[in-house]
Amino acid sequence: MKIVIIGNSVACINAIEAIREKDKISQIIAVSDEQSRAYSHPLLPNLVIGDISRSDERFYYRSRNFYEKNKVKTVLGKKVVGISSQNRYIKLENDEKISYDRLIITAGGKPFIPKMDGVELEGVHTLTNIKSADKLKKDLINIKKCVVVGGGLIGSKIAEKLAKHGVKVTLVELMKRVLFPVLDDTGAEYIHKELKSLGVKLILGDSVVKLDGNKRVKKAVLSSGKSIDTDAVIVSVGVKPNLEFINESGIEINRGIIVNDYMQTNIDTIYAAGDVTEAYDIVTSQKRPIPILPLAARQGRIAGLNIEGENVKYGGGFPTNSITIGKISFISMGIVDTDKLEILKIKKDGEYRKFIIDDNKLVGMILVGNIEKAGMFNWMIQNRFDVSWLKDTFLNSDFGWQYFSKAFRILRFDRKIK
Amino acid sequence: MKIVKIYEDSCVYCHLCEVACIVEHSQSKDIIKAFKRETKPIARCSAEFNYPLSYSVMCRHCDDAPCIEACQTGAMHRDERGYVVVNEDKCVGCWMCIMACPYGVIKKDERREVWGLSTKCDLCPDRETPACVEACPNNALMFEEV
Repeated sequence: MKIVIIGNSVACINAIEAIREKDKISQIIAVSDEQSRAYSHPLLPNLVIGDISRSDERFYYRSRNFYEKNKVKTVLGKKVVGISSQNRYIKLENDEKISYDRLIITAGGKPFIPKMDGVELEGVHTLTNIKSADKLKKDLINIKKCVVVGGGLIGSKIAEKLAKHGVKVTLVELMKRVLFPVLDDTGAEYIHKELKSLGVKLILGDSVVKLDGNKRVKKAVLSSGKSIDTDAVIVSVGVKPNLEFINESGIEINRGIIVNDYMQTNIDTIYAAGDVTEAYDIVTSQKRPIPILPLAARQGRIAGLNIEGENVKYGGGFPTNSITIGKISFISMGIVDTDKLEILKIKKDGEYRKFIIDDNKLVGMILVGNIEKAGMFNWMIQNRFDVSWLKDTFLNSDFGWQYFSKAFRILRFDRKIK
Repeated sequence: MKIVKIYEDSCVYCHLCEVACIVEHSQSKDIIKAFKRETKPIARCSAEFNYPLSYSVMCRHCDDAPCIEACQTGAMHRDERGYVVVNEDKCVGCWMCIMACPYGVIKKDERREVWGLSTKCDLCPDRETPACVEACPNNALMFEEV
C-alpha cells in the first residue's frame, strides 16, 4: 500500500507511528510546504526571542532520524495545490503528481487575518509556523514598540515574551478579556495582572481596523478612533483550517474537513486529522475544529490505525489548554464560561478553581495557580463520569483519589477501568 | 507488564516510599546527602491521607498514555522496557502532561533555570525492584503484574 500524508506535524507523526506499529512494509510519503522536520508549534514565541534555537533538540517533536527509522520518504518545501480523488493522486505546485492508495490530510491551520487596511506593510507579522517566526525574529532589531492584535494563546504568549525582552507591547483584544474562549473573567484577571506587571499595555473591547505607514507600519488605528505608534504588528486573532488545496477534490468541508468517527472523510480512501478537521466535540455535541495539540496527536494515531484496518473510534474530544504567563500557570478545558449550568467555584490566595457541571456530568473546568491533578478532571469529562457523589470535593485544593469510593479507586489503580 | 500495585489496606502512612524515591533519584543516592546537601529531588510517589484511609500513588504506566499524546516535544515517551518516562533534556515544562494524566500523578518541578520539568515515576531503571516497593515496611506497595 502507498500512503501519502499531506502535512508534517503532530497529526502526521502520530499517524506514521500508528501505521508502523502494524505495518512495516507499506510505503509512506509525507509532503509538506515547510522545510523543517516536525517541531513544537507552542515554542514559536520562545524561538522568536531566543529562549530556544533551531539547533536545540528541544524545539523538535521527534529526533532527526525519525523519518529514516520509520522508513518515511519526505517531500519537504513543496506545496500541495490539488487532490484528484478519482485518480488518486495529489498535485504539487511544480505540477508534479504523487499517487496514493490512502491519503491522510494533516495540513493544519493557517492564521486568520481580519480585514484591515495596511496588512501588507512591512513589519506586520503572524506567528503560526517556523517561517513566520524566523521573519519576526529577524525583524526584532527594528522593534522597540509592538502592537499584538488578539489576546489568544499565541497573542498572550508573544506579548509576554516580547515584554520580557524589553519591547513596549500593546495588546489589543476585541473581547472584554484576554484568552476569551479558555478563561472566564476571574481567571483572565490573573493573566491581565501578570501581563500588566510585565509592562504590557492592555486595550480590551477594541480592535485594530487600519494600519498606517509608508513602506513600514508606523501606526495602528483602532475602531474606537485611538491610534497607537508602533514599529510592528503581530496579528494573532486565531487560526483556521488550511483548506486551500481541497477545492475540487470532492472532499466534504464545512469550517474544516468533515470526518467521521474513524477520521475518514466522505471519500473512503482519504482520511484527515488534526487542526484541519472538524471532528466531534463531546461537550458541545457538535462537529467543529478544535485546533489543539493533544487532539491532533490522537486523531493522527486513529487515522493511521484505521488505514491499517484496526477499526478504532475517535469518540470525540474537547478543548484543553495549559499555559503559563509570567508566574501564573493555568489549565482549562471544555466549557469555561456559562450561566446556564451548575457552577462550583472558589477563589483563594493565588488559586482559582471553577467547575461546570451539566446534569451531574463535568463539562468544563478552570484551574489557576494550583494545576495539580488537572488530568483527573480531563478523564471525568471524556468519560462522562457521574460526579454527583464527588463534586463537593472538587473545590478542595488537595482534591485527589482520597475522595473517591474505595471500590472505584482500587479498580482504577489496578487499571481495571480505563 | 509489572507496575507498582497499591494495597491501601496495608498502608500505614509512613512516607518511607517517598523517602526511598527521593534517595533513588538523587545525585548521590545517599540519604543524608540527598536530604541535606544536594538539590532534593521531588518524590515520584505521593502518600495521601484521609483518615482512616491512606495509600501511596504513582504513575500507572497506561497502555494508551494520554501524557505521551499531549506532550509537545516528545519528551514524554515509552522507554525500551515499555514504561512511560520523561526525557529531561526535551521537557519544556508546559504542563500539558499534567493536563492529560488521568491519575494526577505528574508533578511540577520549577527549579530549573529556563524550562520547568515534569516529574513522574520512572519505575527505577537502575533497579530490579522499584525503591518505593523495597522500602515499604508493610507490603502496601508491591511490584506485580497488572
